[in-house]
Amino acid sequence: MMTMQNPMTEIATSKKAGDTLLSVRNLKKHFPIKDGVLQSTVGHVKAVDDVSFDIRRGETVGLVGESGCGKTTLSQCVAGLMEPTSGEVLFDTGRGGTLGPEDRIDRMSGKQKAKYRRNVQMVFQDNFASLNPRNLVVDIVGRPLRVHGEASGGLLTERVVELLEQVGLGRQHLYRYPHQFSGGQRQRISIARALALDPDLIVLDEPTSALDVSVQAQILNLLGDLQQQRHLAYLFVTHDLSVVRHMADRTVTMYLGRVVEHGPTETIFRDAQHPYTKALLAAKPDLDDDPDAPIATLEGTIPDPARPPKACRFHTRCPVATPDCGWEVDDIVRLLESDDTLFERLSGVSRKSELEAELAFETEEAACKLWEVLRSDRVPEAMREATEILDVKGSKLNVRFRDSDEIGLRALGSGHEAACVHAGRLS
Amino acid sequence: MTQIDTPAKPLDPLRHDTAFTVRLRRYREISGTILSNPTTVIGLFFIIALLCMAIFAPLLAPPNVPDPYQMPRDWGAVRSPPGTPGHPLGTTNQGGDVLYGVIWGSRTSLQLSLIVVSVTVVIGVCIGSLAGLVGGWLDEALMRVVDIFLSIPELIFALAVAAILGPSFTNIILSLCIVFWVKYARIMRAQIILIRQADYVQAARVIGDTRFNIFRRDILPNAITPIAVQATLDMGNIVLVGATLSFIGLSESGIAEWGVLVSEGQAGIASGRWWASTFPGLMIFIWALAFNLVGDGLRDALDPKTEDKR
Repeated sequence: MMTMQNPMTEIATSKKAGDTLLSVRNLKKHFPIKDGVLQSTVGHVKAVDDVSFDIRRGETVGLVGESGCGKTTLSQCVAGLMEPTSGEVLFDTGRGGTLGPEDRIDRMSGKQKAKYRRNVQMVFQDNFASLNPRNLVVDIVGRPLRVHGEASGGLLTERVVELLEQVGLGRQHLYRYPHQFSGGQRQRISIARALALDPDLIVLDEPTSALDVSVQAQILNLLGDLQQQRHLAYLFVTHDLSVVRHMADRTVTMYLGRVVEHGPTETIFRDAQHPYTKALLAAKPDLDDDPDAPIATLEGTIPDPARPPKACRFHTRCPVATPDCGWEVDDIVRLLESDDTLFERLSGVSRKSELEAELAFETEEAACKLWEVLRSDRVPEAMREATEILDVKGSKLNVRFRDSDEIGLRALGSGHEAACVHAGRLS
Repeated sequence: MTQIDTPAKPLDPLRHDTAFTVRLRRYREISGTILSNPTTVIGLFFIIALLCMAIFAPLLAPPNVPDPYQMPRDWGAVRSPPGTPGHPLGTTNQGGDVLYGVIWGSRTSLQLSLIVVSVTVVIGVCIGSLAGLVGGWLDEALMRVVDIFLSIPELIFALAVAAILGPSFTNIILSLCIVFWVKYARIMRAQIILIRQADYVQAARVIGDTRFNIFRRDILPNAITPIAVQATLDMGNIVLVGATLSFIGLSESGIAEWGVLVSEGQAGIASGRWWASTFPGLMIFIWALAFNLVGDGLRDALDPKTEDKR
């Protein structure tokens, strides 16, 4: 006997697979750096800097990158937990037609906003911290239903039991506290909570990173099954490429707040074009690899996101950088910061532009030393080639680099784009 | 689609768990941990005894007419030593019965500490929450005020305020309320800043719950434990500071208050009349000790680091 109309039949008519569900356009999130007694802003950490991508109904988008690349900030902007500095996040609330300015999540009308809130849910990395330790499972999983006035009392309990059963838990878990569960079970509770309002999109922020490998597989399979049953879209944020390969239809690679490459997962794994994506793929230990071969790693550390490198942000660590990749004065500053003896004797940098500067040292000897370093193989060949002027006058070193253009994403066919001068040319 | 008009399935016959029994079991577990510490039990025993004394004061010592908080005067038996018929703990210089003072003093102390603790907890939690949740210049301003308060020792500050307000027991209560809220504001602010970043608060925001509900259901219950511990410790400290102020003479003379009794009796100590000061002094000691023992026990038992592991 059916007493309630199946909500899926009504919605199914307006929702088609492949329609754009969420669109991120030129999103920027800059965090001010405050310093001094008056807490004046001395700079900005550009956590997310001009990022655009779409998520279609029913698909999984994998968002990969190393720690600090802005992927968590981006996912929080998508989930509405953070206000972007500029740019927009558009979400299809079933208004009909193509996504437009009225679908911006920060400009939505109250009714639309409520729909957005129901239809975008999130699962966090830390399965313990994401559940209120003082609440029972029935309260945690039932809370979304209560907040949106979907159910109460005995009906609520029954709905919670249904949800728990869908994630492989059951009635016996209703009245337990989070600390009475294992990590995998807690993540199942989080997933049940995210499913409660029957959302269109779930943002998964490293949902399996804190779990044992065997439990990871269980959770990934559960997520896969739920996606098929409920026609869910996932934004899967992770640094684990094998998870992305298993789960994602499309992959977006981020580096220092920018998207450096995106495309169908198969294409990315078969034919990555950006050297950063390639480095990530190479750094992934594989069972088929020769166990004695060294694992390919990226040299150097991720630069300070408060002053990201010019043009291609990856050029400071790139093994195939060219003179056109955006060499600038800051590259010398970064070099000096890693060399204590020279950095100590630096007394000032007067920049004429980001390409041209005069570096003053305490002694002539130090200036000559830097000149030698900049001519030696301690700096990449591409950087040496990009140096137009390099001379020492007394204790001062003059330097000028060749100018280079911004390197945007280049289309490579079938939805594959990469931001690299080599894109499409390198095999 | 499941049939939702059918009656709920019977509960698992092995474990008839309901939210109520589970919460009850949890409280039992927590109180079990608290009571597993012998010093806490000793403290609790004294607190219960003192509370009984305060509650049943009219039965233990017939109230003085018209004001039971005024010491009765027996001008026929001034300066009697303990053991005198009708005055088992002796009398003061003015013929006040020491036993009466000890018993009714527990009521005065309970009033003092309960009023001051509840008022200061409410003020402190409100101000601390405001600072922690709103942040910005308001947080900055409120915390500078708190810093100023904290830079002055509690006793000296309360003494100054009580001296300005004039000597009376009510003014002692008032001055302690003005002084003691700052610690709660500090603790509450720190807790809120910590907890509002917690993933479960973010999760509640994603669900779409209101700010007020998030504060009530997620932030407040998780922030309150250290406040409860501090409040228990202060139940003892406040009586100690209050008695000190009374002793100095910031209370009306002649009321049944332990600090006042110690003060009135101290003149006779040199002449060998030790009882008028010793018994009320002992009561202050027991009171402060009992609440400190329980407060420390609570701190150990409710420490979030150990609490979640059970």
